Amino acid sequence: MGYSLALPGFYFALLIGGFSFGAVVSLFFVRSNNANELTSQFVIRLGKNLGFGFSTLASLGGCALSLSVLLAGSPYQLEFGRTLPFGPLSINIDQLAAFFLAVISFLGIAVSIYSFGYTNEFVGRRNIAVFVFLYNVFLLSMALVVMAGNAILFLIVWEVMSVTTYFLIIYEHEDSSSRKAGILYIVMTHIGTALLLVMFITLAGFAHSFSFEAFRHVRTQIPPSVNTWIFLCALVGFGMKAGIVPLHIWLPEAHPAAPSNVSALMSGVMIKMGIYGMVRVFFDFLAPGPEWWGILVLFIAVASAVLGVLYALMEHDLKRLLAFHSIENIGIILMGIGAALLFSSFGSKTLAAVALLAGLYHVLNHAMFKGLLFLGAGSVVHATHTRNIDELGGLAKKLPWTMFFFLIGSAAISALPPLNGFISEWLTFQALLLGFDIPDLAVRLAVPVTVALLALTGALAAACFVKAFGVTFLGLPRSAHAEKAHESSFSMLFAMGILALACVAFGIAPGIMISLISRVTSSFFGESGSALSVLNVGTLTIPRGAGSGVSPLMLLSLLAGLIIAPIVVGFVLAGKIRTRTAMIWAGGLEKVEPRMQYTAAGFSKPIRMIFSNIFRATHEIEISEEMSAFYKPQIRYELKTESIFQKYLYAPVRQTTIAAAKIVRRIQTGHIQSYLAYIFITLILLLLFAR
Amino acid sequence: MFDTQTISLGIEILAATILVTTFLIVSSRSLMFYVRLFAIQSFLLGLVALLVAVGFGETHILIAAILTIVVKATVIPIALSKVIDKIKVRKEIDFTINITTSLLLCALLVILADSVARPILEAQRMSDLAVFKVLPMSIAVMMIGLFIMIARKQAVSQIIGLLTMENGVFLSGLSITYGMPLIVEVGIFFDIFVAVLILGVFVFRINQTFDTINVDTIRRLRH
Repeated sequence: MGYSLALPGFYFALLIGGFSFGAVVSLFFVRSNNANELTSQFVIRLGKNLGFGFSTLASLGGCALSLSVLLAGSPYQLEFGRTLPFGPLSINIDQLAAFFLAVISFLGIAVSIYSFGYTNEFVGRRNIAVFVFLYNVFLLSMALVVMAGNAILFLIVWEVMSVTTYFLIIYEHEDSSSRKAGILYIVMTHIGTALLLVMFITLAGFAHSFSFEAFRHVRTQIPPSVNTWIFLCALVGFGMKAGIVPLHIWLPEAHPAAPSNVSALMSGVMIKMGIYGMVRVFFDFLAPGPEWWGILVLFIAVASAVLGVLYALMEHDLKRLLAFHSIENIGIILMGIGAALLFSSFGSKTLAAVALLAGLYHVLNHAMFKGLLFLGAGSVVHATHTRNIDELGGLAKKLPWTMFFFLIGSAAISALPPLNGFISEWLTFQALLLGFDIPDLAVRLAVPVTVALLALTGALAAACFVKAFGVTFLGLPRSAHAEKAHESSFSMLFAMGILALACVAFGIAPGIMISLISRVTSSFFGESGSALSVLNVGTLTIPRGAGSGVSPLMLLSLLAGLIIAPIVVGFVLAGKIRTRTAMIWAGGLEKVEPRMQYTAAGFSKPIRMIFSNIFRATHEIEISEEMSAFYKPQIRYELKTESIFQKYLYAPVRQTTIAAAKIVRRIQTGHIQSYLAYIFITLILLLLFAR
Repeated sequence: MFDTQTISLGIEILAATILVTTFLIVSSRSLMFYVRLFAIQSFLLGLVALLVAVGFGETHILIAAILTIVVKATVIPIALSKVIDKIKVRKEIDFTINITTSLLLCALLVILADSVARPILEAQRMSDLAVFKVLPMSIAVMMIGLFIMIARKQAVSQIIGLLTMENGVFLSGLSITYGMPLIVEVGIFFDIFVAVLILGVFVFRINQTFDTINVDTIRRLRH
């Protein structure tokens, strides 16, 4: 224990100091106008690299801090600002905070390394010092969100996080769509924060303090109706940040607008802050509630997962596609959390622990593979300057390493064994299926529906990534952009390599991480919560379910066997393999042209047909009139899918708000006399009635 | 040399006269007349302060009294007269609330002021002092000052309304505590003095820019 008492303080200082230093240091290296072009570029580069160096260092500190807390088992606490009007602010890194801190820091290391190379493009074109500043503050604020042990500090850093994200989204501010995305984001996130404020004030009303410790003490004293109110505030307030359906509309706009390294952080960890908040409130501040809480969360989870992946299938913008997949994965994470809520309302702590563990493990895994995919998408955009996958193709030859890492990420997100996505989705399945143990009709209805739709989601995700990967990397280049592409710099590839390695490692040896995460769940559900007995590094078993164990290594060898066996058998039966070199058949034309390839829209057409009720696609075919036998007419094809949420939820709300604002605006006459009269009448009324 | 009773009576009479000048402002439509009435009102206020200083031995009020007579009864009216001369607007023509209705409403305000002040005074058992009658009057002056700002549209009338309110505040201060601490008084004087200078310049500029000092026309901020 000795080491754990002394070192966390050092790691904590490294974390805070590193990010703060990194934020400030680059500002000293803003361009120097008098120097010549070369030296000023050198200075800017130096400042930027220093900034990212510090953020890498700070992230390492964060990793060490979270590991030391997780291993030592005792929280790291700190209190400061005793003279503040709301009472002292405190840092409290318990098991849950340490787990999320680990996710943030780990992705922080990879993305910071990636940023060394990625931001070279901005040098001389943009104010990179501001970017480095915002980047460091963003990471620091996320780390502080999970470490905060006090509602006031939490809300402050939560807002800092929202505001820095806003500035990062509009970093390419000359693009009007970026600005629009920024506005949409900041409006949505502030509605969420308003609800969180209401929630914390309600809690503080019972606890007579803003510290999380006090909230925990009164958890059993809050009446059920207020409990429900707090639950709903937290669900919507944190859900806004997490991007649950139907509050997701900011996400596909904001993620593509930001630079790719920031998108990776936003999608990988920022939306997880919503999940962190939910877990904190649902399992830490609130006593187990009625069963409809869990059913509601499961319903939202299923809606997010299925709709997220369906909308992703229709996207041709690589980063928007990934953003929709974030909604899908938030849905999968929430399935675990919803199931945990449901089980804990029946008092079944073991099952709840398994379900929560599945959710949290997916948090970690999603951060890894979605971070990897966004970084990969960043490399593609960096190389080709387009995000439209219908303009890409054939990148496998130009960017072999990026292709390799992107493939690993795609396989992981499609939940293919032996990668990490498979393990957490398998755990989610297991957790849900364990729900049959509970003799309740609602649970028995909810569980199979959720399981079925989770299976559908997985299949659709795989289809979507076949499309994304295939159209982007395989085939022939569809445009000049794709033809001129070049491989990314070493630091970018190295960062992607780290994450790809993590995807493989967490898939092949899940026991290591799961034994750490089960410390988190057992901090909520007691020792009985460590339900997953990890027999060895390779095999996971769940005590209740008969035969529900899994060994990723065995699965891998099985899969490999399935691939190799036919080849071997074929070789044995047919003898030596003959090869024949010939032209590819091109439908009778001279040669294969890029335009003959399967497009992204064509690939996803069957799914568009099946789910036509959801997509409400309208297409327009326009053939130019100059029809002549010798000239090919121009054909324009336009396909639009409309969002039912935009049309039936957001548009009415927006119109009502504007109409209401117009009515209220009438009191703003512009006459100074009427303003004075308002004051005067108020004064007289107060004198008359409020004595 | 005088007993407290006589001095109290004097203060009451002066306060009543101040209220009357306020009503005269409401009833008139000439800008110059406003300024002169304000000068008289401030002079009477200065006399009240003088009486308080001499009669109750509060010597620091003497400074406030002299300041009132010099600044409010002399310098400010002269400055405002000059502004009126320059902008060549003599009469208020267009009212938000016409004079007859205004006078009736002001009478109601006096009744309201009395009904507001009475319970406070009875609770404090101060019914034997001059304050008993002066406080309601000073509250009435304050409210009428604000009312002038609402009812009139010329910028100069707005200034006069503001200054009348301030006189009401000073009068109530005198009647309740026989004068606030000197530093507060001087601070308020300085405040008002600077405010009037700035407002005077503003009115002049507004007139130059818009060819009117009717505040109705200055509504661009709304759009």
